[in-house]
Amino acid sequence: MNVGMQTVAAARPGLGAQIFSMIRKDLLLEWRSRSRLVSLLLFGVVTLVLFSFAADADTARLRASAAGFLVIALLLSSTLALSESFRLERENSGIEGLLLLPADPIALFYGKALSSTLLLALLAPILAPIAIVLYSLNSSVGGLLAMLGIWALAAAGLAAPGTLYAAMTSRLQSRDVLLPILLFPLVVPVLLATVKALTLILNGDAMGQLRPWTLFLLSFDILHWSLGGILFSYVCEEA
Amino acid sequence: MNVQNPQRFAPCNGSMGPAPSDAWKVSLPFPAAERRDMPFVDSEPRPRVVEARDLGRRFGSTWALAHVDLVVPRGQTVLLMGANGSGKTTLLRLLAGIYRATTGSLSVLGRALPAERMECRRHLSLVDHESYLYGRLTALETLRMWARFLGKQPSESALLELLAEVGLAEQRNAPADGFSAGMRKRLSLARTRLEQPQLLLLDEPMSALDGDGRRIVSSWIEECQQNGHTILMASHDIERVAPMCNRAVLLRQGQVAWDGKATEVVGNRVVGG
Repeated sequence: MNVGMQTVAAARPGLGAQIFSMIRKDLLLEWRSRSRLVSLLLFGVVTLVLFSFAADADTARLRASAAGFLVIALLLSSTLALSESFRLERENSGIEGLLLLPADPIALFYGKALSSTLLLALLAPILAPIAIVLYSLNSSVGGLLAMLGIWALAAAGLAAPGTLYAAMTSRLQSRDVLLPILLFPLVVPVLLATVKALTLILNGDAMGQLRPWTLFLLSFDILHWSLGGILFSYVCEEA
Repeated sequence: MNVQNPQRFAPCNGSMGPAPSDAWKVSLPFPAAERRDMPFVDSEPRPRVVEARDLGRRFGSTWALAHVDLVVPRGQTVLLMGANGSGKTTLLRLLAGIYRATTGSLSVLGRALPAERMECRRHLSLVDHESYLYGRLTALETLRMWARFLGKQPSESALLELLAEVGLAEQRNAPADGFSAGMRKRLSLARTRLEQPQLLLLDEPMSALDGDGRRIVSSWIEECQQNGHTILMASHDIERVAPMCNRAVLLRQGQVAWDGKATEVVGNRVVGG
């Protein structure tokens, strides 16, 4: 055994260090398969374009539904991202190998959920300007920043339960069908709150409703990020 | 002790009914009292690294392992033998805490499984049929990632040295998805070197390896033995592996059918199935 390895201290890494290692690993894998990120972006863009065709050239209708179209694009992209992320984990039982090291399942959950959130949040700076152009939206810089904030909360709201369900379904043959079936009903509150909040940002918030919807979204995120951390070990290991 | 009696064991048909019972237990080729007297099982005052009592594991309606009593003291190298489907891999994965026992109790390194599996895994390493690799990471990146999760910060040169040790120095920057089965096995073995475990669980450690690879594994096993580490090794390559072991356990239909000195199985072709 080489001397260098033996002399280096091997203190157990903390939860934060493990989460960081997981994010680092996931982002490196994403970088190695950039085609996946590009296909995710293209999927989001194509979804927005198709919605614009579906709503015909009615500008008023497009503006009124723009927030919903954006959120649906995010929701559909999220299932692609989450399912692919766990396909890589199951390919050679990579996640099982990490658990054997042993990595803390809580760290694996938060690492994966955070990297998925980051990936989904990255869609916003691309999709939001495209939506503004396609749907003839009027938005200030402040409005755009608020949109990005809400988008990040929505991405987090999809990533936490999505990571849990993607882990649950990743061993099944019909995972690509099961993941949306399980995830979509659960994230209806995210869908509602995000559409409401984005509509208020884009069309004006005369009644000051943005704050309660944002808090509602934040509460959903906190609840599901907490639950996911607790339940993930039961999902990825035999309890 | 005669182990050349394949007729005493029913062929493994994979299905064993709804629950384990004494009725289908295979008969042992020696009296129970003789087994208790075996000097390498219980009489030595060494700490017990593995202690399984009435261990059983069911997959659906099939019992992969049932009524297994196994005590392994520290420093012992145990060869697990048996035909395909006899329960070797299941036993190793139970010991690693990947599976949960359906029946019985299991203690590894003094810790009860599965309750204390995290603590337990810090001191054991499993090399099995899974490579646990991420295909898009290079060999060097893979080792670096494992080291981070282990809380180690080996220098670049230490990792390169480790890769050279397993014969992957030239492939250090090649992604693992282009590796052959043997190269994947070598990288998995490098992981056990990073882990420096007290208990080494090896499932077919020689499979897919060429002559050089097998020599590396043999020398590592020898080194672990010199350091007083405990090894449980499942293999069909009895002739090659048995001389490295001081105890052999034969599994048949998920049960311990024979437990004796490894020297007694060398030259016996019936035990591996």
